[in-house]
Amino acid sequence: MKRSKVWDAIFLAPCIIALIMVVLIPFVQGVSFSLTDWNGVRSEIHYVGFDNYKEMFNSIEFLYSFRITLLYTLINVIMVNIVAFLLALLVTSRVRGKNLYRAAFFVPNLIGGIVLGYTWQFMFNDFFTAIGKSLGIGWMSSSMIANKNLVLLAMSIVNTWQYAGYIMLIFVAGIQSTSQEVMEAATVDGASYIQRVIKILIPMIASSFTISLFLTITNSFKAFDLNVALTNGGPSMRYMGSVVKSSQLLALTIYNKSITSKELAKGQALSVVFFLMLVVFSLLQVYLSKKREVEA
Amino acid sequence: MRKFIATLLVLVLALGLVPTLAEDLNITLFHNKVEIAEPLQAFAKLYSDKTEGVTVNIETLGGGADYSGNLTAKLTAESMPDIFVIEGDGDYKLWQEYVTDLSDEKWNEETTLAYKDPEGKVVGFPVSIEGFGLGYNVELLDKAGVDPATLTTFSALKEAFEKIDGMKGELGLDSVVSMGASVAGGTWWVAGHHNFSIYLGGGLDFEDTTIVDMFNKGEVDEERLADYAKYVQLLFQFSNKEVTTNGTYDDQLAAFVNKKAAFIHQGNWVDPSFAKMNIDFEYDYISHPFNDKQEHTGLYLFAPSFYVLNSKNSPEKIQAAKDFLEFLVFSEEGADYMVNGAGMVPAFANVTLQPSGGFSKALVRANAEGGNHGVFFGKLPPGTGQDVLAPIYDLFAQDASDENLDFFIEDIKGAAKTVSEKQ
Repeated sequence: MKRSKVWDAIFLAPCIIALIMVVLIPFVQGVSFSLTDWNGVRSEIHYVGFDNYKEMFNSIEFLYSFRITLLYTLINVIMVNIVAFLLALLVTSRVRGKNLYRAAFFVPNLIGGIVLGYTWQFMFNDFFTAIGKSLGIGWMSSSMIANKNLVLLAMSIVNTWQYAGYIMLIFVAGIQSTSQEVMEAATVDGASYIQRVIKILIPMIASSFTISLFLTITNSFKAFDLNVALTNGGPSMRYMGSVVKSSQLLALTIYNKSITSKELAKGQALSVVFFLMLVVFSLLQVYLSKKREVEA
Repeated sequence: MRKFIATLLVLVLALGLVPTLAEDLNITLFHNKVEIAEPLQAFAKLYSDKTEGVTVNIETLGGGADYSGNLTAKLTAESMPDIFVIEGDGDYKLWQEYVTDLSDEKWNEETTLAYKDPEGKVVGFPVSIEGFGLGYNVELLDKAGVDPATLTTFSALKEAFEKIDGMKGELGLDSVVSMGASVAGGTWWVAGHHNFSIYLGGGLDFEDTTIVDMFNKGEVDEERLADYAKYVQLLFQFSNKEVTTNGTYDDQLAAFVNKKAAFIHQGNWVDPSFAKMNIDFEYDYISHPFNDKQEHTGLYLFAPSFYVLNSKNSPEKIQAAKDFLEFLVFSEEGADYMVNGAGMVPAFANVTLQPSGGFSKALVRANAEGGNHGVFFGKLPPGTGQDVLAPIYDLFAQDASDENLDFFIEDIKGAAKTVSEKQ
């Protein structure tokens, strides 16, 4: 069957229509709502220009949320990538049962974020503390997610448990596409395992790192279901004189502003800024990573 | 062979169309009282079986979950329920374009607590009379030698708390009172809604809204707030910090039911939950004696939630929903469900069944005696309890020291300013 432009259009149409209706139109609507004072339910709307944006940049809640989202992203990206890389090394080595490991490490990714959050909430609050109390271990006797200094780490642990398996598969694909000859030649030349991994393997799979960094950065920045289920904003704390929720990441702040407090227009302003930040970060990251790939 | 399978499939598909020809009218009731989900579902099934052509479905979302947010999501998805819940002026202002006039319904003659819009039209069906005070374990207080009748002032309560705290070991308690204020655990509403209502209405006349009106304008009564803050501090200091700051709704109830706490800060809606947890002792209410300015004996009563009918529905659906509510009030099965199944105190005079739960009995008694206080958190803008007040209580609960007491008072004043800007 000859390839015709009409058939191309017909097959692409459902996808493009869906994209326009679910992504493009709501996005444009969102930007326009952010310039109003709509509360999400009533039918009167007034145009207020950039007031919502000005208010947002002066809001301590938003500044704090922005700061800890960046911090969480940093912690999470490091943890997920290190764990995923180590798992990938394990699963591509000559250890027995590696196919079983591959499947087992990936399974947590299939559990939805909400179920994961509540299950781990029980683990942190009741399970670990019960063990800590009965064995008399001090630091394990109180829940990690009730501690404003450790709550981000707790969230990262859960996210790593869920996501590392997925990123591991990306590294596995990268490792398996490298040629065995280079590694064998290095062994013959007397390089140790660690030297081989750091100086040869990692540069060879630089493109996998580009992908995994992109995925983990955007995934961490956008974290929501885990945030709601595990901590719901977590313990309160005092920041710059105001009471803030210590683990309320940006997505949850947007949700609380728009839906819980019924200030949809202000939440929309936040989401527009959120979108812009995410675009800037990911483009920057991909650009820098691609540059490194070419050089390596 | 292929032709045979094809014909068979067509027949199966055709059969699939048949049920759609005889469709029932589907009424969805979306409510937020997780404590009565089971009895309500049973009652809905009973009504659906009894009534031809109508099926009533119940959707529940409660505890600390975001009912209002979920309802907004349903609005956006154009799947608004046929009957849903509003909790007061704040909610009414939000949903006023979606409520139906119910002034002509028969049950209006049996209650004075229906929700009226600013023009006096009835738009909300009162689900129940609910209320709270400070719950206590009758046996434990007896054993500790504390007479609940004397606990009518702040000083008396503080003395009793200190006494019981000293006897924790022999009484087998973890803490004196079981409290909840956790953002993460989902008990923020215990503090942010009900405890805050003590500041708004405690010690005042049932309809006295002076304090909440002041709060909506950004002002606080300094002396009253200072006394109230000390009361909050007392509750936090004598509660199990882990449960208060990080526990779930179940954890807070379990502490009281398992006799690990002698008092509990909860409302009568927990009666069915207590029954399910097989509570084995008598329990009752005292008031919330938050200051020494008067003798506190009244309980806090309100019709906290109202069923409203989605006005954008078809007339048949609206009528079917009205019929369901009428059956609820005037039938024996409805009375049985409201009082025995759900353990509620009904808001309708024609229902003469008495509830069996300890807290509900206390409310019926208090209602008859009078001298009770109104509960006004529903008059605050939507989301105030969850987003503005809850973190303040959560933070104070983490360390209820005297220094943080001053911070707490400043935070509440700040909350008043925030609320006044949202009007």
